Amino acid sequence: MHGRVKLKSTAQQEEEKRKEREKKLKIYVAGRDAIFTKRLEGVLDDEALQLTQQLLSSNPDFATLWNYRREILLHLETVREEDDVQKMYEAELLFLESCLKVNPKSYGSWHHRGWVSARLPRPDWARELGLCDRCLSLDDRNFHCWDYRRMVVKMSGVPVDQELQFTDRLIGSNFSNYSSWHYRSTLLPLLHPESPDPPSPCHQHSHSSPPPSPQTHSHRVCEEQLLKAVSSVSLPFSAEREEMISCVFVSREEERVAVAFSRPVNASSSGLMLVLDGQPQRVEWRSVHPHFRHSPVWICALPPGTISDIINEHNLTVHWTEKHTHRDCALYTGRSESWCRDSATDQELFRSELSVEKTSVLQSELQSCNQLLELEPQNKWCLLTIVLLMRALDPLGYERETLSHFQTLKEVDSMRSAYYGDLCSKFMIENTILKMEYAEVRVFSLSDKNLTMLCHLDQLLLVTHINLSCNQLLRLPPQFAMLQCLEVLEADDNAIENLDGLYYLPKLQEVSLKNNQISKLSDLQLLTSCPKLTCLDLRGNPVTQIANIQSELTELLPSVTDLLI
Amino acid sequence: MGTQVKDVVIKSDAPSALLLDKHADYIAAYGSKKDDYEYTLSEYLRMSGIYWGLTVMDLMGQLTRMNQQEISDFIKSCQHDCGGISASIGHDPHVLYTLSAVQILSLYDNVNVLDVDKMVEYVRGLQQEDGSFAGDKWGEIDTRFSFCAVATLALLGRLDAINMDKAVEFVLSCMNFDGGFGCRPGSESHAGQIYCCTGFLSIAGQLHQVNADLLGWWLCERQLPSGGLNGRPEKLPDVCYSWWVLASLKIIGRIHWIDKSKLRSFILACQDEETGGFADRPGDMVDPFHTLFGVAGLSLLGEGQIKDVNPVLCMPEDVLERLGLHPDLLS
Repeated sequence: MHGRVKLKSTAQQEEEKRKEREKKLKIYVAGRDAIFTKRLEGVLDDEALQLTQQLLSSNPDFATLWNYRREILLHLETVREEDDVQKMYEAELLFLESCLKVNPKSYGSWHHRGWVSARLPRPDWARELGLCDRCLSLDDRNFHCWDYRRMVVKMSGVPVDQELQFTDRLIGSNFSNYSSWHYRSTLLPLLHPESPDPPSPCHQHSHSSPPPSPQTHSHRVCEEQLLKAVSSVSLPFSAEREEMISCVFVSREEERVAVAFSRPVNASSSGLMLVLDGQPQRVEWRSVHPHFRHSPVWICALPPGTISDIINEHNLTVHWTEKHTHRDCALYTGRSESWCRDSATDQELFRSELSVEKTSVLQSELQSCNQLLELEPQNKWCLLTIVLLMRALDPLGYERETLSHFQTLKEVDSMRSAYYGDLCSKFMIENTILKMEYAEVRVFSLSDKNLTMLCHLDQLLLVTHINLSCNQLLRLPPQFAMLQCLEVLEADDNAIENLDGLYYLPKLQEVSLKNNQISKLSDLQLLTSCPKLTCLDLRGNPVTQIANIQSELTELLPSVTDLLI
Repeated sequence: MGTQVKDVVIKSDAPSALLLDKHADYIAAYGSKKDDYEYTLSEYLRMSGIYWGLTVMDLMGQLTRMNQQEISDFIKSCQHDCGGISASIGHDPHVLYTLSAVQILSLYDNVNVLDVDKMVEYVRGLQQEDGSFAGDKWGEIDTRFSFCAVATLALLGRLDAINMDKAVEFVLSCMNFDGGFGCRPGSESHAGQIYCCTGFLSIAGQLHQVNADLLGWWLCERQLPSGGLNGRPEKLPDVCYSWWVLASLKIIGRIHWIDKSKLRSFILACQDEETGGFADRPGDMVDPFHTLFGVAGLSLLGEGQIKDVNPVLCMPEDVLERLGLHPDLLS
């Protein structure tokens, strides 16, 4: 089905081909029918093995035939001596080898080989490993073979460092070596389970192998550096983050509690418990938006009157029983609201904590990438690796260079400019959050930062004023509802057409959406869920051109006394 | 940059208009080629072949041209005593063809010609202790089969039949350093497997476990200068990856990371103006498999003449609407 070129041929050639295929078809059908007949009759003999062998040689994806062979072999096992069984299965392996030579990518053949190897009285794992070596030397991207190799390694206890050396050899001799890189990513953690900073022997290796040409070498080296950066920086971080309640917010006025977690949770199955002044409370947790069964932010309403008495102090504890962690929050006398939040260091929020050794490794990698970039200023692999390394080392310190590299990336790799736009937006939001740690946590400005999307909104639970003006946002996504303390929203000069995230924001008073793409009255429907909304600026939106829009809006949002269209 | 990238070059005379009528004629005629060599050799996957043909016809609004009764009878005769469905008569049951059968009958709203309870038992029986699914009684493990199992049960409204937590645990154990997924734990990331695993996680309500930014990047890197998509690094583009990659991106909310107009041009170039149908790449032989995924890919790109396709189940959205099925998608 794949890779069959359509060739033009004459009428006579067509006729000859047709006759030949007709002949082949007759033979094939006869074989198939004979096999099916025998199977229906429950026959398990050598002739059936012969017939299935013929068909499988040219059509190894005919899975039922492998099944039939297994039935026959299993039966023969019961009536033959161990030595004969050994010989029988070795013959099977020989047959399989010839099948694999013709079609090295048949699921059926590889699975059958694995089945046979497991049933052999005396398996020869060294031979199986040798088969893998040969097969991979012909095509080191054959994932069937790699998977088979992993099985052989597991069954025969091949040491991890031996397999690492095998990948070293392949990487050194070949350009298309992603499969080897992938295998390394699974082997290295086995070799260094305690250390979060595995050494990278390949770092030295890639410098020692002779480059065929400067361009291809640097391209390969940078691609490899990027894979290394990805595997040593990105993925481990997500696994490492401590699971905890990051913030608890309490409001006397709304009589509710909002809780932010370090990752999305499902409150109903996580064992969330609220204790007020030592008394467990019967409350219903809801996620900030019905869209999310799993959410980093959950809200509950307290029984009426329990905390509205401003002359009294109250002590709350939220328990995340599933993870044996909790967070306390004290609501003091005279205070209408309170919160408790980790003074999260930037290292915990967006990147792993780096040891001295790892920092030094990453710095030298950054240095060599920068040198390569001087030779090839348009090498996207280089640029992206540099960006990732800079994020890991010093996100705020390298902000200017990061923005510049993203600009270049959008130019040299324009097919993926939307990706670079989103990734850059994420990094700018992260940087703004990091700076927020040292300043005011309630006023947050992201204006004029080329933002194409919003993320990390779970970090903004406490924000009262947010400025998103002059960006390229298309919508306020459902996750925006995590801004439970929001009072003022400025989002002028974007391309916003969707306000899904303005969902039950209890404190939202002022919304400015000048010069956006709100085009239908229904786009504004959700604003009715925000009870305190009094100011709404919709100037410069297509919706203002609708007939009678003034009266329609007054009817939809009667409490909005300050309406600008 | 001077580096060689495996890719195709689209000729200037490659098709650039969508030839839906030709494709419908191609598929309508395909089933009648009973004495064709290729057709007979592919008997081992016939049930899936029928699913590909019927689904693409439905997406083009041409399902009525196919013979519902004949197909229904055929499927009935493919259900075995164990409850599982085979690709064709005389072949052995397998979860791949069990899913295809249920998908076909769902198009016709006629699942009850089969013994549904027995089928559910068959699927349940394929789940292993570690949560994985075997394809059949012979024990091959693959995340494709995890997807087939939950997709089948989702269409039947019987997801409670399996241990979902364990099933999720196994699929997550197949997540790699690049955010992608492979066949088994330790297997290399591959777009087909990624489609199966993100589809699985969508049905299981566990998409938040995906590293969407990392996986989305790996997926958008599948796009080559020709505009086509490959299945993993350093491979040639193939129109079926317009489905596996694109649907995955849609599921994780990152479909805008692909250059849509370049991809559209590539898919259209894979049409055969003479015979109808799509091939894996421009100039190659067409088949129903690539025809479905070419059309489905165009649907995901917003092609007005094609019905909306569901990215998780690769079936028309209106069919799933009728069944009340709305698998999660990340925004």
